[in-house]
Formats: sequence, structure tokens, C-alpha cells
Amino acid sequence: MAPSARAGPAPCARQAPPPRFRVRREVTAMAAARARRAGASLLLAAVRHRSSQSSSPQAGLVAKTSLTSPPWPEVKLPDPVEEAKYHAEVVQKVNGLIAAGHYGRLFAVVHFASKQWKITSEDLIMMDNVLEAECGDRIRMEKVLLVGADDFTLIGRPLLGKDLVRVEATVIEKTESWPKVNMRFWRRHNFQRKKIISNPQTVLRINTIEIYPCLS
Amino acid sequence: RYVRQLQRLQLLFSPTAADARGARQFVEEAAQDFARQHPDVVLYVSPHAGPGPAPVLRAEYLNGTVRDELIASKTSEEIVQLATKLANQSGLDIIRIRKPFHTDNPSIQGQWHPLTNKPSVLTVQGPRLQPE
Repeated sequence: MAPSARAGPAPCARQAPPPRFRVRREVTAMAAARARRAGASLLLAAVRHRSSQSSSPQAGLVAKTSLTSPPWPEVKLPDPVEEAKYHAEVVQKVNGLIAAGHYGRLFAVVHFASKQWKITSEDLIMMDNVLEAECGDRIRMEKVLLVGADDFTLIGRPLLGKDLVRVEATVIEKTESWPKVNMRFWRRHNFQRKKIISNPQTVLRINTIEIYPCLS
Repeated sequence: RYVRQLQRLQLLFSPTAADARGARQFVEEAAQDFARQHPDVVLYVSPHAGPGPAPVLRAEYLNGTVRDELIASKTSEEIVQLATKLANQSGLDIIRIRKPFHTDNPSIQGQWHPLTNKPSVLTVQGPRLQPE
């Protein structure tokens, strides 16, 4: 539309030549109108041309608003090959540390009795249930989620292998909890029931946490 | 590496009282088995003739606490269960314990404080520049 408008004068239907004494005024009026229309179209065309010139070179600078980029910081993921190399190096180093025994105290996160505990060695734990093990029995805990030392941590997804960690504990005592009062009372209904509950409890002492160097 | 906390069990009852029947049956039948099953607990049986206090099972622990349990009008099996329960306990008071865990070394990798994992710009204080 623009180039065609820009090319020639504004289209106006050809009319029969008007009478002479009105010609000049009409001619001037028509000329002015044509000029105006031509000028407007010229301006418009110029604007459109400029805008097309600026946006045609690819992805030019659009105005930076609050919605041009997402609000979270842009994260650059590392190269997968390099990352694999880095991972292998880290695993090798940690394996070396474990094999050489360069770790002090170990702590572990263990799932036991429907709860997760963060335990170290020589640790006391009490659970509100009955274990089928006599006092003095040694128990091995198998659901280990995490093992850590001062310099490194081994995180399982969600569990660590049994050949990697070994957590041992001893049952120390099996007692009852303190007597808890379970009372139900409805006012103005002469209804009250009192019951004293004492749950059985088990106390464990974590003896050792060991790791073996078999990472991959 | 397990030491039973129960030192000795004293069974005090009188042979003539009617409510000490369970205690007498326990002494006749199950006391020997119990003593054999728990070799590190000493079981004393002391009948006191004539009407006396109610029959009682006294448990003494290594930390000095003494616990008395009434065994009047209890059957022999109940007394056996009670005795095993006492044998499995330690001498600590049965009160409300606040935490179900106890550690001597709570943190290995260093306890968290608000400045861990922050850039060290916040903690480092450079040398004071003299005003010139």
C-alpha cells in the first residue's frame, strides 16, 4: 500500500473540466488537498519505511520492559561431557578418601520406626513401640538415606546400598512411657472417663556407622 | 557390650496370706526358669511368716533406684511378665522425657549459623584505612 501511495499523486477521479472562473480556486484547493494527502502519505510511508528498516536486521533492540526476560536468573548449564568428567573425578577422590580412611566421625540419616533420625555413633534413640529383639541384641539398620563426614557426603536416591554403609545398634532397655492421662469429659452430661496409658518404649544405642569404598 | 541395669529382685511375701497365692505359685514353678533366663539378675525369695505387709516385688538397679511392685492377687504369669519388664528396664525415673534422642556430638560438619553459605564479603573486614 505504502509504495503505491508514495509513487504517484493521490488518485482522484477525472472530471469534466469545470467553468473557468472557478477553476483557479478549485485547482488551488484541489492542489492543496492533493499536496496535503501526498504529504501525509509521504510522511506515513517514511515512518513505515524507517520502522521496517530498524526491525528487519534480526532481533534488534526491543525496548527492555519488565516482561522481556523471565524474572528468574538465567542459568547456564555446564557441558555434559565436562560435567561427566568432573563427576568421575569427584567420585574417584571420595573413593580414595574412604579407602584411605581420611574421615573422622560419620553421621547418617536413617529411616527407622516410621521416622527419620540423624545419628552418630554412641547415640541414644528412643522409639514408642516394641521391637522383637531382646535386650542386648545387636541390630543392623538398613534404610540409610544419607551418610556424611567432615569433608564429603554420600546422598542416596532415596536409599544407599547395603554394601556401602553399615549401621549397627544395640537394644538397651525396653520400658514403658510415663503414665499419660486419657480423659474424656462432657460438661453438663455427667460423663467422664479416665484412663491411664503407658506405651511400651525401646531405647537403642547406635554403636557404629561404617562405610566401604565401593562407589561408582 | 550390654550390661543389664537390674541388680537384684527381692520377692517379699508371706506364705499364709491369701493374696500371695500368685507369688507362691511363681516361686514354686517359674522362679527357677526366670533365674536361668536372666543369669545376671540375682533373685532373692524371702518369705516372712505371719501377717505382714502386702506381697511386693522389689527391684534394685545399678544406679540405686529401688522400685516396688505389688503382686497381691496376681497370677503367676502376670508376675513373670512383670519381672521381665522390670529386668528390661533401667533405673531411670519414668517421667516425661523431652527428646527421644540424645547425642554428645550434635554437629559434625559444623553447626549452621546465618553466615554459612554466604559470600565471604560479609564476614571479611579489611584493614582500616587511615583518613588522609
